[in-house]
Amino acid sequence: MFKTGKTLAALTAGLLALSACGSGGSTSSPKELKLWHYEGPDSAMGVAWNQAIKEFEQTHPGVKVKFEEKGFEQIQKTAPMVLNSKDAPDILEYNKGNATTGLLAKQGLLTDISAEVTKRGWDKQLSPNIAETAKYDAKGVMGGDKWYGVPNYAEYLQVFYNKKLFDKYGVKVPTTFEEFTAAMDAFAKKGVTPMANGGAEYPAQQYLYQLALSKADRPWVDRFERYTGKVDFHDPAWTYAATTFADWVKKGYIAKSSVSTKAEDAGTSFISGKYPMFFSGSWWYGRFEKEIKTFDWDTFLWPGTKMTLGSSGNLWVVPKGSGNKQLAYDFIAITMKKDIQNLLANNGGVPVAADPNGVTDPKNKKLIENYQTLVSNDGLGFYPDWPAPGYYDVLVAGTQKLMNGTAAPNQVLDSFAKPYEENLSTIGH
Amino acid sequence: MSSVTVRRRTPGAYALLVSLIVLALVMLLPFVIIAVNAFKTPAEYSAHGPLSLPKGLYLQGLKDFWQRVDFGGKLVNSVIISGSVAVLAVILSVLNAYALGIGRIRGRVSIMVVLLLANTMPQEVLVYPLYFVSKKVGLYDTRISVIIIFTAIQSAFGTYLLSSVLSSFPREILEAARMDGAGRLRILWRIVVPISRPTLGVLFVLFFIWTWNEFFLPLIFLISNENQTVPVALGVLQGQRLMDATMTSSSALLGIIPAIVFFLIFQRTLTRGITVGSAN
Repeated sequence: MFKTGKTLAALTAGLLALSACGSGGSTSSPKELKLWHYEGPDSAMGVAWNQAIKEFEQTHPGVKVKFEEKGFEQIQKTAPMVLNSKDAPDILEYNKGNATTGLLAKQGLLTDISAEVTKRGWDKQLSPNIAETAKYDAKGVMGGDKWYGVPNYAEYLQVFYNKKLFDKYGVKVPTTFEEFTAAMDAFAKKGVTPMANGGAEYPAQQYLYQLALSKADRPWVDRFERYTGKVDFHDPAWTYAATTFADWVKKGYIAKSSVSTKAEDAGTSFISGKYPMFFSGSWWYGRFEKEIKTFDWDTFLWPGTKMTLGSSGNLWVVPKGSGNKQLAYDFIAITMKKDIQNLLANNGGVPVAADPNGVTDPKNKKLIENYQTLVSNDGLGFYPDWPAPGYYDVLVAGTQKLMNGTAAPNQVLDSFAKPYEENLSTIGH
Repeated sequence: MSSVTVRRRTPGAYALLVSLIVLALVMLLPFVIIAVNAFKTPAEYSAHGPLSLPKGLYLQGLKDFWQRVDFGGKLVNSVIISGSVAVLAVILSVLNAYALGIGRIRGRVSIMVVLLLANTMPQEVLVYPLYFVSKKVGLYDTRISVIIIFTAIQSAFGTYLLSSVLSSFPREILEAARMDGAGRLRILWRIVVPISRPTLGVLFVLFFIWTWNEFFLPLIFLISNENQTVPVALGVLQGQRLMDATMTSSSALLGIIPAIVFFLIFQRTLTRGITVGSAN
């Protein structure tokens, strides 16, 4: 009968001994750069950064990069706690925006790298449009005066279209907004829903915001995203967006049934050739290239607008507690070099400082040229869910009401205004 | 062939049978969908959706995932953590319950109420206090911190349950042992533990599986990849905007297999414990 007790004791002792060994030793040493990011190994960023790590180790003999792949959720949930401990990495990828990088900067958990940015000339490589999400003010609002991160890549929205379906129904690829609506009309008349949409997630609000952006300018975006002035949700741009979006659903340009569809399903339905067009982000690009096998596809920018949704990608940030700041800056410098930037481009990413001549694939080249067109027009309009925490869900609910026709455009715009104003009062502007 | 006497089933029995079959199918469906998608290529998934059958056996997703997160290492971590917690929490529960259920110490009712309340506390409430304490004592980002936390959490439930079980422990046996000159410790190890072993077995299995499936606290406390458990490793695949459905299925499959295997091994312990409980 004593046997049970003894086995248990032995088992516990053994397990505890096991768990004790190997758990120490995670403090950063000068010969090791602890680096975290959350991009998949096959993604454009994953491939390019892998190469950057190799180059870093070559140019820094004796220094080892200790890379750990993290999940997006994990970094979102634990970053404030990790960065406040001695287990913080020396450099990590972090989501840009007021609620993320801005918040950490405000809490004093990130290093102000402004001096390094000017010294190494990164401010010249990054267009003002892109830099906006890397700089924050004392309140943690983007577009501030201090640099807290450096983006390697950008993202923007464009219309992906299925060439096979355009040929089959004899529809011309549009270059103006009139041709665009005419094309959608032509598909709808033949019983084909022209646009893939996901009403339960971000795609619907991106259609809506794009419509607003087509009637907006830079100060309008600044007011909305950076609180530089009063936002009127019943101005011509918002009113046009809400009424047109509701109208498109009514006309069948966007399926009413897509009200409960997720973004993933919208994307896969485009891949399987169900929809002629899908207006979404460059983050789909690599996947479409890999997985679309049964038809040719291409892209065009939303016609008849100067501004489109888009921004810098995520940032490299250096925690306050990083033990190897100089090495971290050296690493960022490598990721900003031409060869890494072009590698990113050749794998279907949108680098911030690439040279289109170094990009071989014609489709990839177009991806970058479209981006450069947008940047030269100062045309990146950011995303509609940025201004307030929880705003994403407000926008999803509002666009769903528009699609179902359960609320008039005016009422929906009211529902956008209220949480926005509430957030403003908490920020103290 | 000899004639078999067929007992006539009543319509009610048939209805029960059918509803059980339906229930079993409903329970199995998610597993089937996961298994089907785990063996598909990403292109197949995108082209034909989640419900189509795979054209061939595509094992690359499983292999890639295994290597990408060093799944073997995660398994070892999970076994160490869940095993330690299960053993320690059972021991702690027995000691506590011995004092509360048989020893009937003063204030036992209020202690039980506190333990019950502790059980209803959501883990989100515990995060910050635990984070600060573990940082202070230098246990942040160690497996031991998670073992200590879950030993406490699980033994709160274990103490509560065992105390009520032991409070109905036959007094005559205890009296007899005491007459024979057995001390308190001796009574615990030679009489109470052996007799309630089926219940302890059930607790052990439950603690192991519950701890195995924990996600939130391990996510917060196990920062380094080398310390992470299986459920946390599965989270790596959650991208910001895209999800890799086939690889997620592969990982889910790999993630549930160990728990199922463990359950099958200890299934008899479970059923035995439950029947003993009902006989009491």
